[in-house]
Amino acid sequence: MSVRLIVRTFSELCITIGALIVLFVVYVLFWTGVQAADATEGQIDSLRSRWAHGPVSAPPPRSSATPNAPNASKEPPAPAAYRDGKPFAMMYIPRFGKGWEWPVLENTEVRTLQKGLGHYTGTARLGATGNFAVAGHRRTYGDPFKDFPELRPGDAVVLTDGTTWFTYRIGRKPYRTVPSDIGVIDPVPRKSGFDGPGRYLTLTTCDPEWGSSHRLIAWAHLDATQPVTEGKPAAFHS
Amino acid sequence: MYGWIWRHLPGNAWVRALISLVLVLAVVYALFQYVFPWAEPLLPFGDVTVDGSTGTGGGQ
Repeated sequence: MSVRLIVRTFSELCITIGALIVLFVVYVLFWTGVQAADATEGQIDSLRSRWAHGPVSAPPPRSSATPNAPNASKEPPAPAAYRDGKPFAMMYIPRFGKGWEWPVLENTEVRTLQKGLGHYTGTARLGATGNFAVAGHRRTYGDPFKDFPELRPGDAVVLTDGTTWFTYRIGRKPYRTVPSDIGVIDPVPRKSGFDGPGRYLTLTTCDPEWGSSHRLIAWAHLDATQPVTEGKPAAFHS
Repeated sequence: MYGWIWRHLPGNAWVRALISLVLVLAVVYALFQYVFPWAEPLLPFGDVTVDGSTGTGGGQ
């Protein structure tokens, strides 16, 4: 009788663990994507509504941490620092499909990357001299960089901060490295083929697709800019 | 253990079945809402940055 009880309890335990694993796989493969779609939508909405209300370079003085507030009215105001964890730009990569659009948020913490792409804090601003570095999920949370290895030299990476379109061009095929190789997001990234200061962009994601042993890196340089009032850049039509 | 739970639920078979369903849904909700979001970042799918804090170590 007690043997039967043990066997029964053991089999129930196995079934329970099996069900747990199946549920977890559903969560990782499917539910994180649903959540990311939701979160991304919210970020894009907040960006669009912010862009609709006044220029981006002069956000409402909500942060109160701007020391140069007093006599900034005459000169063009210094660009406001990106707010931690908040979206500040949209990224489009035509190679990944027409509908591929993701918000870029400030910092690369786990919670931030669940809502969109993350800009490495401390790297250059969008369009500025230096290296504008962005990380994104390869898998889970909407799979933004799923097709990362498809990037080829000349591919466009288009970004907008609400006032300007920035078109970056990929310089070489994605480069595979180890996670500790922080030189890839240097102002003049090592191994990128760029040899002097310039306006660069770096994308990073994980490799292999479901692993974390390596990173895939793509570098691009600023090719063109144009005000949003002049419509979408030509890179969308190529 | 499921037999034990079943025996301790009140009412007839239909009521018990209904309560069981509610219990199962509650467990699944708790898993998706609290347990899995906690467990998922422990897996390597989110390591997409080059900060050296994961993987081979080193860096910052």
